Amino acid sequence: MKRTKTQVFAAFAVAFLVLALPVLGQRHPRELSAPPALAFKMPKPVMFTLGNGIQVAYLQDTELPLVWVLGYFRGGSLYEPAGKTGLAQLTATVLRTGGTKTLSGDRINEELEFIAATVEAMGGSEFMTATGSALKKDFVKLMEVYADLVMNPAFPQDKLDLARNQSLESLRRRWDQPFQVSNTLFQEKLYGADSPYGRRATPATLKAITPEDLAAFHKRFFSPTNLMLGVAGDVPVAEVKAVLNRVFKGWAKTKVELPEPAPLTERADGTIYYAYKDTPQANMFLGHLGVRRNGPDQYKLDVLNDIFGGGGFTARLMKELRSNRGLTYGVYGGIGAGRDRGSFMVGSQLKAAQFTEALGLIKGIIQDLQTNLVSDEEIETAKNSIINSFVFNFEQKNQVMSRVMALKLQGFADSYLDTYIDNIRKVTKQDVLEAAKKYMDPAKMIVMVVGDEKKFDKPLSSVGKVKEIDLKALIEAERGPQK
Amino acid sequence: MTITKRIKQSCLLLAFVLALGPAVLPAQSLEEKVTAHTLKNGLTVIFAERHGAPVFSTLYGFKVGSVDEYPGITGTAHLFEHMAFKGTPKIGTKDYGKEKVLMDKIAQVGREWSVELAKGDQGDKEKIARLRADLTKLEEEQKAYIVKDEIDLVYSNVGGTGLNAGTGTDQTMYMISLPANRFELFCLMESERIRNTVLREFYIERSVIQEERKQTTDAVPTRLLSEMFMGAAFIAHPYKNPVVGWASDINSVTLEEAQAFKNRYYTPNNCVLAIVGDIYPEKAIPLVEKYFGDIPRGEDPPVFRTVEPKQLGERRVRFEFDAEPQLMMGYHKPNFPSKEDAAANVLAYILTRGRTSRIYKDLIQDKQLAVSVSGLAAFPGDRYPNLFGFNAVPRFPHTVEEVEKSVLEHVEKVKIEPVSERELQKVKNNIDASYIRSMSSNFGIAMTLVEYQLLYGDWKLFKKYRELIAAVTAPDVMDFAKTYLTPENRTVAYLVKKAKAS
Repeated sequence: MKRTKTQVFAAFAVAFLVLALPVLGQRHPRELSAPPALAFKMPKPVMFTLGNGIQVAYLQDTELPLVWVLGYFRGGSLYEPAGKTGLAQLTATVLRTGGTKTLSGDRINEELEFIAATVEAMGGSEFMTATGSALKKDFVKLMEVYADLVMNPAFPQDKLDLARNQSLESLRRRWDQPFQVSNTLFQEKLYGADSPYGRRATPATLKAITPEDLAAFHKRFFSPTNLMLGVAGDVPVAEVKAVLNRVFKGWAKTKVELPEPAPLTERADGTIYYAYKDTPQANMFLGHLGVRRNGPDQYKLDVLNDIFGGGGFTARLMKELRSNRGLTYGVYGGIGAGRDRGSFMVGSQLKAAQFTEALGLIKGIIQDLQTNLVSDEEIETAKNSIINSFVFNFEQKNQVMSRVMALKLQGFADSYLDTYIDNIRKVTKQDVLEAAKKYMDPAKMIVMVVGDEKKFDKPLSSVGKVKEIDLKALIEAERGPQK
Repeated sequence: MTITKRIKQSCLLLAFVLALGPAVLPAQSLEEKVTAHTLKNGLTVIFAERHGAPVFSTLYGFKVGSVDEYPGITGTAHLFEHMAFKGTPKIGTKDYGKEKVLMDKIAQVGREWSVELAKGDQGDKEKIARLRADLTKLEEEQKAYIVKDEIDLVYSNVGGTGLNAGTGTDQTMYMISLPANRFELFCLMESERIRNTVLREFYIERSVIQEERKQTTDAVPTRLLSEMFMGAAFIAHPYKNPVVGWASDINSVTLEEAQAFKNRYYTPNNCVLAIVGDIYPEKAIPLVEKYFGDIPRGEDPPVFRTVEPKQLGERRVRFEFDAEPQLMMGYHKPNFPSKEDAAANVLAYILTRGRTSRIYKDLIQDKQLAVSVSGLAAFPGDRYPNLFGFNAVPRFPHTVEEVEKSVLEHVEKVKIEPVSERELQKVKNNIDASYIRSMSSNFGIAMTLVEYQLLYGDWKLFKKYRELIAAVTAPDVMDFAKTYLTPENRTVAYLVKKAKAS
């Protein structure tokens, strides 16, 4: 059995009090005795399947007169045809704004906004989502509109043009903020510009998309058997069932093919990529590929990540680079899990005049984790933090529902949440060391830095092999001739 | 509006309650959940019970922000907020006695160094380098005695989440959410921080804030534009200064100045604490009394004097930056709780909120001149008369001039044609619903309670906001537009792309 930190403090407190009386009005938490245990029951959604195959997760919440709905369709940007990157998001946007076969998008806007209800759709990499919310008195209206939109979207040309023009403008503006530039280029270098995981929309790919493309993309994934739908709020389950059965009536099942994209291969080779931009800091991402989610070492990685760079001020990255040295306002990092491979990544906006020093510190932190066992205090803090804050995953019922749905869709076992705390408890210092050795490779890490090398403490060539990216040329090539 | 936080967290919603605003429906239900209690030293404590999950969120604020600073110490409210995480004589140290000796030396060397730095080009470079080296040596020595970020460490171990703080123009807020069995720990930790903050590692943290300013303002087009805009819209009132402070001041403010600022404003009588969640006030109040009750009452904060003079003519700012263009415009107006402020909230909604708002339909959907236009009903703060205005992002190849012209057409239209009853009702329905939605999180409720109590002296004023909004009529909106949205009361700032950019 592991003792929590507070129990350790409590044991110290006895000895401490004998030696010295605390100064009035100056107290330390070790003076407190251990608190009572926290009684806690995890709320669980009810799962059922409708006649047409829609899987439903339902969680009642009677506190406020509200209702939320969340639908996940498998499919997303991973399945975009070559040359049409951006299709998943445009499909989602125009599904919402373009209206249906019987109701115009503008009419839907009027109806929803007048009753303060929302429906929004998003295109992710492996899921398309459609969310909705309303006052409970408007639940039926909300679901009528929601179902009509996901089943019968019209995809008119004018709303595609609007959405595309908006996206084109955000592409223009993605070069304005140096940290975003650094992230965009890092993702591309990490996964490869042609990979479904790394390619990015450009004006050319957006301009190639037609209303027929949207309709085809929709038809491919928006099927009742490919939908997991969550409803949470102050509506009884019998009413939810009745309404869902009615609004989704007649929606034909189709067969949805979800082929696995080509597996990712590691491309990282230690190169430092540098793009000049006239900006005060060094905007940096570094890393290499991460792990497949739901893998055998996931709990070890959760603890390692907390110690390395995910745990805020108790994490080594933040402690050393910000708190001890004042080199940055924030630095975060960790080994991420993805459908195929996530990314092992560190990101920070650093004091330019000490950039290579900071880079050395980050590498040093990684190497130390691969060489030495973490301290007892560090692993206890990381595990305590994860275990004791677990209850916050269940503060809001609609969040509980969406979490349970996401886990199910990503292939986690039904017992994942029930056994999570015990699995974290089992992680040892040796496990953390082994995970760091297995999943971090400082020699392979690529570094992407956007800034002005003249402001750095040392030339980049003194710390590694450098490839320069001409940002201005890249932007001009992407935009093509301007009016 | 502008909030500068200890940690940047996109998930942390510090949206101003007044801007989104509580309104009609279950006002009754919030009041039924609330117990308010004032300690003898003036600290106001407000509880709202929610027993759904075994957790609670706390938020406490001091009525002090960047508006209380003066030239030379801009950014100090925010700088002190960072220092409040560095511990006390008991928390964050292995041996305070020995550490104190070093800290006194650090204060002295740091002061001399800062004085020299503030001379700019006239400063003695050699002396600056020597003092910097001395300071680094002392800071390294001090590390032997420091228990690193122990406040974070203690809260992490017990499962605390969302430990953070934010400084605005009007107030400084501190927050933490904890499992319900840790209420006494919360009382101990936070009463100690308020009473006994030690400005440990001050000059390192000053360096962090230099980077924070670069990261969150100097490299961010919208924030830079906002800074340029405020500097023109206000000529006397300190709303003209950025919350994070001017670079020169951040680079040279001393530990003693930060301490003096704290002593003046961090008193229990200038503080409101909200505790929302699975907590029973009858059990909690004795603990609050035990831990916070003996913090000595302080002098009342100084009376705020400066009043922005009436604007006598339009002000325009234009600057070049390596980014796509955008604009900001604003008009001086009265703050909450006034009829004008309520009309401004309704108008901002009618013009720019949602896909059915007038400016969205015209400028974004039909003419496609812009990709976004946001109406701002009350910025940059709420304690003093503030601004109504817009932030707009043109769509290439359209210009800031075209967008300004089209926005102004909508402003002019409001002056001659009453808004429709359906538009008014839509706004009221939405403000009601957003109020109900804000009640679904402990943190959201705490924010509402603290803001109204701290800025206006009564948490129940959230109802007043609701009443004022519900009472807004079409003629009120027209009167507001005619009186305040005039050219001579207007400031416009343009960010335009550098002719030769990188």
